[in-house]
Amino acid sequence: MEFSDSVMKGLQTLADPNVFDQKSFTIFTEVAFDSLVSPRGESVLGHPELKHIDQTNLKHCHTAATTFILEGVKQNADKSTISSCLEDVRFQNERVDTFYNSFQKNKRNLESLLSSIDTCPPHITDAEWRLEYCIKNSHVHKVNQPSYLISLNTERAGTSSEINFNCTMEQLQDLVGKMKDAAKSLERATQS
Amino acid sequence: MLLVLSEEHKEHLGFLSEVDPAVVGEFGRIAVEFLKKGSNPKIYEGAARKLNVSSESIQHGVEGLMYLLTESSKLMISEVDFQDSVLVLGFSEELNKLLLQLYLDNGKEIRQILSKLAPSLPHYRNLEWRLDVQLASRALRHQVKPTVTLKLHLEDGAQRSAHVLQTDPATLQHLIHELERALAELKSNHCRRILRNIK
Repeated sequence: MEFSDSVMKGLQTLADPNVFDQKSFTIFTEVAFDSLVSPRGESVLGHPELKHIDQTNLKHCHTAATTFILEGVKQNADKSTISSCLEDVRFQNERVDTFYNSFQKNKRNLESLLSSIDTCPPHITDAEWRLEYCIKNSHVHKVNQPSYLISLNTERAGTSSEINFNCTMEQLQDLVGKMKDAAKSLERATQS
Repeated sequence: MLLVLSEEHKEHLGFLSEVDPAVVGEFGRIAVEFLKKGSNPKIYEGAARKLNVSSESIQHGVEGLMYLLTESSKLMISEVDFQDSVLVLGFSEELNKLLLQLYLDNGKEIRQILSKLAPSLPHYRNLEWRLDVQLASRALRHQVKPTVTLKLHLEDGAQRSAHVLQTDPATLQHLIHELERALAELKSNHCRRILRNIK
């Protein structure tokens, strides 16, 4: 894993027992992970237990730590990679362990967070339907045909939208048949 | 159910009794062509010269026929009702038969053309699908995320559109389940009763 000088400096500061004593370090680590996992968590700046540390330094360390964490999750880094990186910036063994334990604990949540940052076509979340029987309209009387109105709810980057369309029974059967083909292929692919 | 023709309409159609039945047959053919493909005023000029009448009379005659056919098709009136409605125009037996034949031959197609005018939403044409497995993104490497990419083809009158959408295996199962429920509903007793009785 490669990091910029700024990140390395920030981590070195974090490793320094003169700036962060053991207790502060533990609290800092927890708050740093928290700030990634729950967006409304306590901020590092103005945290009561970390007030004694210079706030500019604190902000720098926080940026460095969160960059390190996210890079680790992105690359699916194992224990030896993380440990060697932290040792390079002079983390004591105890601090390496504390950090790695928090990393393991939060890894899953961070992974789902990162996997949801995606550009993809609108994602279908639900389908609503309505069955109607058309009796007549202004151009033709005695229509007497059933028809379906389908609404597909889609979501993209947090905004939801809908695709509405009509279909006859045969068309709906065709649509469902094709979806079932896709699902069967999926099943076969996962079994082989 | 009888067709009620306005005085103006009867007047326009009255022109037809002044010409040869063969010509009326030709007018009928022209009227149906116009309904299918749109009207072409030049034809009126040509016919007017040949028959030695004003092109306006020709136009009224043809348009009168068009309106007669569209109204009859719209209401889907029976043979008997059509004959009774046309009787009021006082045409010859031969002419009446001709008009009836015109209606019977073309009624279905005219109804199809009319139904395209009705308001509607885009309707389903086709669905294409593709299975993918996402391996990595800018934000996260080492992924194994199965996704189903769908291309939904819709048609709205002359306009065709295609929507590229995505879903995951679990949602796909849910969609299939919901839409199958929709299909099953049509076969329920309630729906069957309504479909049977409203005719």
